[in-house]
Amino acid sequence: MDLMRGSSDEQLDRLFRAYREACPTPEPSPNFMPELWHKIESRQTLGLSLRRFAGAFVTAAVAASLALGAYMAMPRTATPNPSYYSSYVEALAAANTIDTPDIVAPVRLDLGEN
Amino acid sequence: MLVDFEVIKRAQAGDGTAFNDIVLAYRKRILGTITRLIARPEDVEDVAQEVFLRLYFSLNQLRTAEVFEPWLYRLTVNAAYDYLRKQRRRQEYRMSDLSEQQMMLADALAGGRAERDERDQKKVRESVDALLGAVSEADRILLMLKELEGLSLKELEKIYDITENALKVRLFRARQRVLKAFGAAAKGSKEPARAG
Repeated sequence: MDLMRGSSDEQLDRLFRAYREACPTPEPSPNFMPELWHKIESRQTLGLSLRRFAGAFVTAAVAASLALGAYMAMPRTATPNPSYYSSYVEALAAANTIDTPDIVAPVRLDLGEN
Repeated sequence: MLVDFEVIKRAQAGDGTAFNDIVLAYRKRILGTITRLIARPEDVEDVAQEVFLRLYFSLNQLRTAEVFEPWLYRLTVNAAYDYLRKQRRRQEYRMSDLSEQQMMLADALAGGRAERDERDQKKVRESVDALLGAVSEADRILLMLKELEGLSLKELEKIYDITENALKVRLFRARQRVLKAFGAAAKGSKEPARAG
Protein backbone atom coordinates (compact mmCIF):
# COMPACT_ATOMS: atom_id res chain seq x y z
CA MET A 1 0.00 0.00 0.00
CA ASP A 2 1.50 3.33 -1.01
CA LEU A 3 0.16 6.01 1.24
CA MET A 4 1.46 8.90 -0.79
CA ARG A 5 -0.32 7.96 -4.03
CA GLY A 6 -3.48 9.68 -5.35
CA SER A 7 -5.15 12.93 -4.34
CA SER A 8 -4.87 14.40 -0.83
CA ASP A 9 -8.38 13.16 -0.05
CA GLU A 10 -7.48 9.61 -1.00
CA GLN A 11 -4.21 9.80 0.91
CA LEU A 12 -6.01 10.99 3.99
CA ASP A 13 -8.60 8.20 3.73
CA ARG A 14 -5.81 5.65 3.41
CA LEU A 15 -4.04 7.15 6.39
CA PHE A 16 -7.21 6.89 8.48
CA ARG A 17 -7.72 3.28 7.39
CA ALA A 18 -4.13 2.44 8.32
CA TYR A 19 -4.65 4.15 11.64
CA ARG A 20 -7.81 2.15 12.36
CA GLU A 21 -5.90 -1.06 11.70
CA ALA A 22 -3.00 0.16 13.84
CA CYS A 23 -5.30 0.80 16.81
CA PRO A 24 -6.64 -2.57 17.94
CA THR A 25 -9.13 -2.46 20.79
CA PRO A 26 -7.21 -3.24 23.98
CA GLU A 27 -8.41 -5.78 26.50
CA PRO A 28 -9.30 -4.22 29.84
CA SER A 29 -6.79 -5.03 32.54
CA PRO A 30 -7.88 -7.15 35.54
CA ASN A 31 -7.58 -4.03 37.71
CA PHE A 32 -10.04 -2.03 35.64
CA MET A 33 -13.11 -2.66 37.79
CA PRO A 34 -11.41 -2.52 41.23
CA GLU A 35 -9.67 0.74 40.27
CA LEU A 36 -12.91 2.21 38.97
CA TRP A 37 -14.79 1.40 42.17
CA HIS A 38 -11.90 2.75 44.21
CA LYS A 39 -12.10 6.05 42.29
CA ILE A 40 -15.87 6.18 42.73
CA GLU A 41 -15.57 5.62 46.47
CA SER A 42 -12.78 8.23 46.78
CA ARG A 43 -14.91 10.82 45.02
CA GLN A 44 -17.94 9.92 47.12
CA THR A 45 -15.87 10.35 50.30
CA LEU A 46 -14.58 13.69 49.08
CA GLY A 47 -18.13 14.80 48.24
CA LEU A 48 -19.35 13.69 51.66
CA SER A 49 -16.53 15.59 53.41
CA LEU A 50 -17.30 18.71 51.40
CA ARG A 51 -21.01 18.40 52.24
CA ARG A 52 -20.19 18.01 55.94
CA PHE A 53 -17.89 21.01 55.83
CA ALA A 54 -20.54 23.05 54.02
CA GLY A 55 -23.14 22.01 56.62
CA ALA A 56 -20.86 22.99 59.51
CA PHE A 57 -20.07 26.30 57.81
CA VAL A 58 -23.75 27.12 57.33
CA THR A 59 -24.51 26.26 60.97
CA ALA A 60 -21.65 28.45 62.18
CA ALA A 61 -22.75 31.30 59.92
CA VAL A 62 -26.35 31.11 61.20
CA ALA A 63 -25.13 31.05 64.84
CA ALA A 64 -22.88 34.07 64.22
CA SER A 65 -25.74 35.97 62.55
CA LEU A 66 -28.06 35.27 65.49
CA ALA A 67 -25.41 36.34 68.00
CA LEU A 68 -24.70 39.53 66.08
CA GLY A 69 -28.44 40.25 65.78
CA ALA A 70 -28.91 39.81 69.52
CA TYR A 71 -25.96 42.07 70.25
CA MET A 72 -27.28 44.78 67.95
CA ALA A 73 -30.76 44.56 69.53
CA MET A 74 -29.44 45.16 73.06
CA PRO A 75 -30.05 48.71 74.46
CA ARG A 76 -26.92 50.85 74.74
CA THR A 77 -26.26 52.12 78.34
CA ALA A 78 -22.80 53.61 77.86
CA THR A 79 -24.03 56.80 76.18
CA PRO A 80 -26.76 58.50 78.25
CA ASN A 81 -29.78 59.83 76.44
CA PRO A 82 -29.72 63.67 76.39
CA SER A 83 -33.46 63.79 77.15
CA TYR A 84 -32.71 62.56 80.68
CA TYR A 85 -30.83 65.78 81.59
CA SER A 86 -32.72 68.19 83.70
CA SER A 87 -31.60 71.34 81.93
CA TYR A 88 -30.40 72.54 78.61
CA VAL A 89 -27.08 73.73 80.09
CA GLU A 90 -26.29 70.28 81.48
CA ALA A 91 -27.04 68.67 78.18
CA LEU A 92 -24.85 71.19 76.36
CA ALA A 93 -21.99 70.67 78.80
CA ALA A 94 -22.21 66.92 78.47
CA ALA A 95 -22.18 67.19 74.68
CA ASN A 96 -19.18 69.58 74.55
CA THR A 97 -16.90 68.41 77.31
CA ILE A 98 -13.64 68.80 75.37
CA ASP A 99 -14.40 71.78 73.16
CA THR A 100 -15.73 73.95 75.98
CA PRO A 101 -12.87 75.93 77.62
CA ASP A 102 -12.72 75.90 81.40
CA ILE A 103 -13.54 79.35 82.92
CA VAL A 104 -11.27 79.68 85.96
CA ALA A 105 -11.56 83.40 86.71
CA PRO A 106 -13.33 86.53 85.50
CA VAL A 107 -11.49 88.58 82.86
CA ARG A 108 -10.12 91.95 84.08
CA LEU A 109 -9.34 94.82 81.75
CA ASP A 110 -6.83 97.46 83.00
CA LEU A 111 -7.73 100.56 81.07
CA GLY A 112 -6.32 103.27 83.42
CA GLU A 113 -2.48 102.62 83.26
CA ASN A 114 -1.50 105.20 80.62
CA MET B 1 -28.04 -1.61 23.07
CA LEU B 2 -25.69 -3.85 25.00
CA VAL B 3 -27.83 -3.76 28.15
CA ASP B 4 -31.57 -3.71 28.82
CA PHE B 5 -33.31 -0.46 29.63
CA GLU B 6 -34.29 -2.07 32.92
CA VAL B 7 -30.62 -2.37 33.94
CA ILE B 8 -30.06 1.33 33.19
CA LYS B 9 -33.11 2.27 35.23
CA ARG B 10 -31.90 0.17 38.15
CA ALA B 11 -28.46 1.80 37.94
CA GLN B 12 -30.16 5.20 37.93
CA ALA B 13 -31.93 4.21 41.12
CA GLY B 14 -28.53 3.54 42.75
CA ASP B 15 -28.13 -0.19 42.17
CA GLY B 16 -24.37 -0.84 42.17
CA THR B 17 -24.71 -4.28 40.56
CA ALA B 18 -26.64 -2.80 37.65
CA PHE B 19 -23.96 -0.15 37.19
CA ASN B 20 -21.33 -2.89 37.25
CA ASP B 21 -23.24 -4.70 34.48
CA ILE B 22 -23.28 -1.54 32.37
CA VAL B 23 -19.52 -1.06 32.76
CA LEU B 24 -18.83 -4.69 31.92
CA ALA B 25 -21.01 -4.46 28.82
CA TYR B 26 -19.61 -1.20 27.47
CA ARG B 27 -16.01 -1.01 28.68
CA LYS B 28 -14.48 -2.76 25.66
CA ARG B 29 -16.32 -0.52 23.23
CA ILE B 30 -15.36 2.59 25.18
CA LEU B 31 -11.74 1.44 25.42
CA GLY B 32 -11.67 0.97 21.63
CA THR B 33 -13.15 4.41 20.98
CA ILE B 34 -10.75 6.10 23.37
CA THR B 35 -7.79 4.25 21.89
CA ARG B 36 -8.59 5.74 18.50
CA LEU B 37 -9.43 9.16 19.90
CA ILE B 38 -6.34 9.76 22.00
CA ALA B 39 -3.80 7.41 20.41
CA ARG B 40 -1.91 6.80 23.64
CA PRO B 41 -2.38 3.20 24.79
CA GLU B 42 -0.80 3.88 28.16
CA ASP B 43 -3.52 6.39 29.12
CA VAL B 44 -6.55 4.65 27.59
CA GLU B 45 -7.69 2.90 30.77
CA ASP B 46 -7.43 6.07 32.83
CA VAL B 47 -9.61 7.99 30.40
CA ALA B 48 -12.10 5.09 30.18
CA GLN B 49 -12.35 5.00 33.96
CA GLU B 50 -12.96 8.74 33.95
CA VAL B 51 -15.84 8.17 31.49
CA PHE B 52 -17.48 5.59 33.78
CA LEU B 53 -16.80 7.77 36.79
CA ARG B 54 -18.68 10.62 35.13
CA LEU B 55 -21.39 8.16 34.13
CA TYR B 56 -21.81 7.02 37.73
CA PHE B 57 -22.20 10.54 39.09
CA SER B 58 -24.43 11.85 36.32
CA LEU B 59 -26.62 8.85 35.63
CA ASN B 60 -29.52 10.44 37.47
CA GLN B 61 -29.47 13.29 34.91
CA LEU B 62 -30.31 10.90 32.07
CA ARG B 63 -33.90 11.60 31.09
CA THR B 64 -34.71 8.31 29.35
CA ALA B 65 -32.84 5.04 29.03
CA GLU B 66 -33.42 5.14 25.25
CA VAL B 67 -30.81 7.88 24.76
CA PHE B 68 -28.24 6.11 26.91
CA GLU B 69 -25.77 5.19 24.14
CA PRO B 70 -25.43 8.65 22.51
CA TRP B 71 -25.16 10.06 25.99
CA LEU B 72 -22.36 7.64 26.91
CA TYR B 73 -20.62 8.59 23.66
CA ARG B 74 -20.93 12.24 24.61
CA LEU B 75 -19.31 11.53 27.98
CA THR B 76 -16.55 9.64 26.15
CA VAL B 77 -16.00 12.51 23.72
CA ASN B 78 -15.87 15.03 26.56
CA ALA B 79 -13.41 12.96 28.58
CA ALA B 80 -11.19 12.46 25.51
CA TYR B 81 -11.48 16.16 24.73
CA ASP B 82 -10.38 17.11 28.26
CA TYR B 83 -7.50 14.65 28.10
CA LEU B 84 -6.30 15.98 24.73
CA ARG B 85 -6.50 19.56 25.96
CA LYS B 86 -4.33 18.74 28.97
CA GLN B 87 -2.00 16.75 26.77
CA ARG B 88 -1.67 19.58 24.28
CA ARG B 89 -0.66 21.93 27.04
CA ARG B 90 2.11 19.52 27.95
CA GLN B 91 3.37 18.77 24.50
CA GLU B 92 2.95 20.91 21.40
CA TYR B 93 3.35 19.10 18.12
CA ARG B 94 5.51 20.69 15.50
CA MET B 95 4.79 20.47 11.82
CA SER B 96 8.45 19.72 11.11
CA ASP B 97 8.08 16.52 13.15
CA LEU B 98 5.02 15.63 11.15
CA SER B 99 6.77 15.65 7.81
CA GLU B 100 9.51 13.45 9.19
CA GLN B 101 6.95 11.09 10.65
CA GLN B 102 5.06 10.99 7.37
CA MET B 103 8.19 9.82 5.63
CA MET B 104 8.59 7.10 8.23
CA LEU B 105 4.94 6.20 7.77
CA ALA B 106 5.35 5.82 4.02
CA ASP B 107 8.32 3.53 4.64
CA ALA B 108 6.42 1.56 7.24
CA LEU B 109 3.42 1.04 4.99
CA ALA B 110 5.45 0.11 1.93
CA GLY B 111 6.13 -3.35 3.35
CA GLY B 112 2.46 -4.44 3.19
CA ARG B 113 -0.09 -5.34 5.78
CA ALA B 114 1.11 -8.85 6.55
CA GLU B 115 4.61 -7.73 7.39
CA ARG B 116 3.60 -4.75 9.45
CA ASP B 117 4.66 -5.25 13.02
CA GLU B 118 3.97 -3.36 16.18
CA ARG B 119 6.74 -0.87 15.46
CA ASP B 120 5.17 0.15 12.19
CA GLN B 121 1.76 0.43 13.80
CA LYS B 122 3.26 2.71 16.37
CA LYS B 123 4.63 4.88 13.58
CA VAL B 124 1.18 5.06 11.97
CA ARG B 125 -0.38 6.05 15.27
CA GLU B 126 2.27 8.69 15.86
CA SER B 127 1.87 10.07 12.35
CA VAL B 128 -1.91 10.42 12.60
CA ASP B 129 -1.54 11.76 16.09
CA ALA B 130 0.90 14.40 14.84
CA LEU B 131 -1.35 15.24 11.88
CA LEU B 132 -4.42 15.63 14.07
CA GLY B 133 -2.32 17.52 16.58
CA ALA B 134 -2.17 20.27 13.98
CA VAL B 135 -5.95 20.87 14.23
CA SER B 136 -8.18 21.61 17.19
CA GLU B 137 -9.30 18.89 19.62
CA ALA B 138 -12.89 19.43 18.48
CA ASP B 139 -11.98 18.80 14.82
CA ARG B 140 -9.91 15.81 15.78
CA ILE B 141 -12.65 14.12 17.78
CA LEU B 142 -15.35 14.84 15.21
CA LEU B 143 -13.26 13.35 12.40
CA MET B 144 -12.26 10.37 14.50
CA LEU B 145 -15.87 9.57 15.31
CA LYS B 146 -16.87 9.85 11.66
CA GLU B 147 -13.88 8.34 9.89
CA LEU B 148 -12.59 5.82 12.41
CA GLU B 149 -15.55 4.92 14.58
CA GLY B 150 -17.76 4.92 11.50
CA LEU B 151 -20.61 6.70 13.25
CA SER B 152 -23.48 7.81 11.02
CA LEU B 153 -24.61 11.40 10.70
CA LYS B 154 -27.74 10.53 12.69
CA GLU B 155 -25.66 9.19 15.57
CA LEU B 156 -23.37 12.21 15.47
CA GLU B 157 -26.39 14.51 15.51
CA LYS B 158 -27.53 12.94 18.77
CA ILE B 159 -24.06 13.14 20.32
CA TYR B 160 -23.42 16.74 19.33
CA ASP B 161 -27.06 17.79 19.59
CA ILE B 162 -26.95 19.84 16.38
CA THR B 163 -28.80 19.73 13.06
CA GLU B 164 -27.64 17.61 10.15
CA ASN B 165 -26.70 20.64 8.08
CA ALA B 166 -24.64 22.19 10.86
CA LEU B 167 -22.93 18.83 11.38
CA LYS B 168 -22.10 18.51 7.69
CA VAL B 169 -20.59 21.98 7.67
CA ARG B 170 -18.47 21.17 10.72
CA LEU B 171 -17.33 17.89 9.22
CA PHE B 172 -16.44 19.54 5.94
CA ARG B 173 -14.46 22.30 7.63
CA ALA B 174 -12.68 19.86 9.95
CA ARG B 175 -11.67 17.70 7.01
CA GLN B 176 -10.48 20.74 5.06
CA ARG B 177 -8.30 21.81 7.96
CA VAL B 178 -6.79 18.33 8.26
CA LEU B 179 -6.20 18.23 4.52
CA LYS B 180 -4.51 21.60 4.70
CA ALA B 181 -2.22 20.37 7.49
CA PHE B 182 -1.62 17.18 5.54
CA GLY B 183 -0.74 19.13 2.38
CA ALA B 184 1.56 21.46 4.30
CA ALA B 185 3.36 18.49 5.85
CA ALA B 186 3.70 16.72 2.51
CA LYS B 187 5.05 19.91 0.95
CA GLY B 188 7.48 20.26 3.83
CA SER B 189 8.77 16.73 3.30
CA LYS B 190 9.29 17.30 -0.43
CA GLU B 191 11.14 20.62 -0.18
CA PRO B 192 14.44 19.27 1.21
CA ALA B 193 14.47 16.67 -1.59
CA ARG B 194 14.13 19.44 -4.21
CA ALA B 195 16.83 21.51 -2.58
CA GLY B 196 19.21 18.54 -2.43
